[in-house]
Amino acid sequence: MKAVWATYLRELRAYFFSPLAYLVLFFFLVINGITFYIVVASLSDPRSPAGQPLELFFGGTFLFWLVLLFITPVLTMRLISEELRSGSVEVLMTAPITEGQVVAGKYFAVLTFYAFLWAPTLAYAGIIAYNAKVDWGPVAAGYVGVLSLGALLLAMGTFASSVTKSQLVAAMITVALLIPLFLFGLVESLFNGDLAKQVIGVVGLASHMEEMAKGIIDTRRIVFYVSWSWFFLFLASRALEDKKWR
Amino acid sequence: MIEAHNLTRRYGDFTAVHGISFSVNEGEIVGMLGPNGAGKTTTIRMITGFLPPTGGRVTVAGKDLFESPREARRQLGYLPENVALYGEMRVEEYLAYRARLEGLSRAEAREAIGDSIERCLLTDVRHQVIGTLSKGYRQRVGLATAILHRPSTLVLDEPTVGLDPKQIIAIRELIRDLGRQRTLLLSTHILPEVELLCNRVMIIDRGRIVAEGTPEELRERSVGNPAVRVTLKGAPDAVAILGSVPGVAAVHPGRGDGGWLVEHTAGTDPREEIFRAAVARGWVLLEMARERTTLEDVFVRLTTHDQAGEAAAQEAPAETAAPVQDREDMDEVDATDDEEIPS
Repeated sequence: MKAVWATYLRELRAYFFSPLAYLVLFFFLVINGITFYIVVASLSDPRSPAGQPLELFFGGTFLFWLVLLFITPVLTMRLISEELRSGSVEVLMTAPITEGQVVAGKYFAVLTFYAFLWAPTLAYAGIIAYNAKVDWGPVAAGYVGVLSLGALLLAMGTFASSVTKSQLVAAMITVALLIPLFLFGLVESLFNGDLAKQVIGVVGLASHMEEMAKGIIDTRRIVFYVSWSWFFLFLASRALEDKKWR
Repeated sequence: MIEAHNLTRRYGDFTAVHGISFSVNEGEIVGMLGPNGAGKTTTIRMITGFLPPTGGRVTVAGKDLFESPREARRQLGYLPENVALYGEMRVEEYLAYRARLEGLSRAEAREAIGDSIERCLLTDVRHQVIGTLSKGYRQRVGLATAILHRPSTLVLDEPTVGLDPKQIIAIRELIRDLGRQRTLLLSTHILPEVELLCNRVMIIDRGRIVAEGTPEELRERSVGNPAVRVTLKGAPDAVAILGSVPGVAAVHPGRGDGGWLVEHTAGTDPREEIFRAAVARGWVLLEMARERTTLEDVFVRLTTHDQAGEAAAQEAPAETAAPVQDREDMDEVDATDDEEIPS
């Protein structure tokens, strides 16, 4: 456990010491500021239906997905690729630590940084609460949604980073994995069958965020995200182990 | 204690290491020599648990590296050939991270960090960012990492590469000191370093151990007749006269003007007779010394395989002794002082 903690702290430090992280933070806050503007505009419009602002903020806009598509590879591409490229993996893997612990430490560090990116947006809720009444339940559910979604995407990015020495290739693999996943929600309307609709309803990321923003925390969805995240992290540790055999 | 049994490593169809077996005992410094591509790094990576062997077994301090990897790795300090560190960290922070990774407690870590910073001469740069350090300093940070958790077993791959002459002396002193209580396996290209530090030498070639023993044993075993180097002035008929001295097997022209290399049979010492002959004929004896076979000779002989290779090897010794490196802050001090080596 101590080894995971050591890796976690080191990796988290590395984020806060890299200029790229601040660039990501800046970009992230600009886009979210724009989204917030849309939310406020919708709030002040008496014709907009109740509950819609949160849905807008958490996944309701194209911008939300664009930001995730951009920041996931940028945050995860370095994680393991850099160790493989520089060769520091050699002193790392000869220390008393397993591949799984390395992956876990790094993954929780990037997840923490991701949560840190979202933290300033709490101020938006504060601003609204100052001017009007806020229903905190759905807001909390929205953040649970954002975190569980992030958990999956970052796990996929971590996996991509474990298969190559090149950060660029890792980023490209991540994007290639994310785009089909994002598009999946869009094809829902193409299916007629009840079962197919139900399956896509559970799997689709867009509908997941929509429900969460309404304040519905569905444990099936949480289990779905956690287990797929675990699966990708497992693949990442396997990929790291496999590097030794070649 | 390191024990390797029948270690084999294949990369696809290519076999890099063919069933190597050896052991390194506590309190012993064993040097591993071999030309590039001989399988040294592969062997070292298998011993440190970075690379799983295709066949064979390794135990470190009695712990099997694959059955109980954590316990074995805890006993092991490793300095790889290419020291890769995290450039954005400060020296002390990096060591603190490593201490945590090794599972040291806070108090243990503080002491261990201070100790290895001091031993590896890093006091001036302890607060400096690693990315800004010169190669020599980074090498020493790597060494500090290897000894940080006070492992009973150390594996050092070219520990003095990139250091300046003064640092080389200090680090060798440290290695010798470490080797007193620990098990130490050292891989190096600098042959005089092996003679200075190692109790035992292993020469690896094409994935096999081709020779093993103390430096003296290796020298004696692999070389033919001993020889004496003589420089004479005013001795036109030296070949004939020197050739008639009892025990002399052959006389070859040696270095410089009037230089001769007198080969004699083992167990004889023709030096006295040569001196008398010179006195009797009124030659001026400028120089006379035993020609020492160096490990370089042994190394070249054992690792040269064909005529073409033989020719190339004529130039190789100088190169092996003083590898050409980045010009920064490094210089090999004792690449050429093969006569001063204490036995």
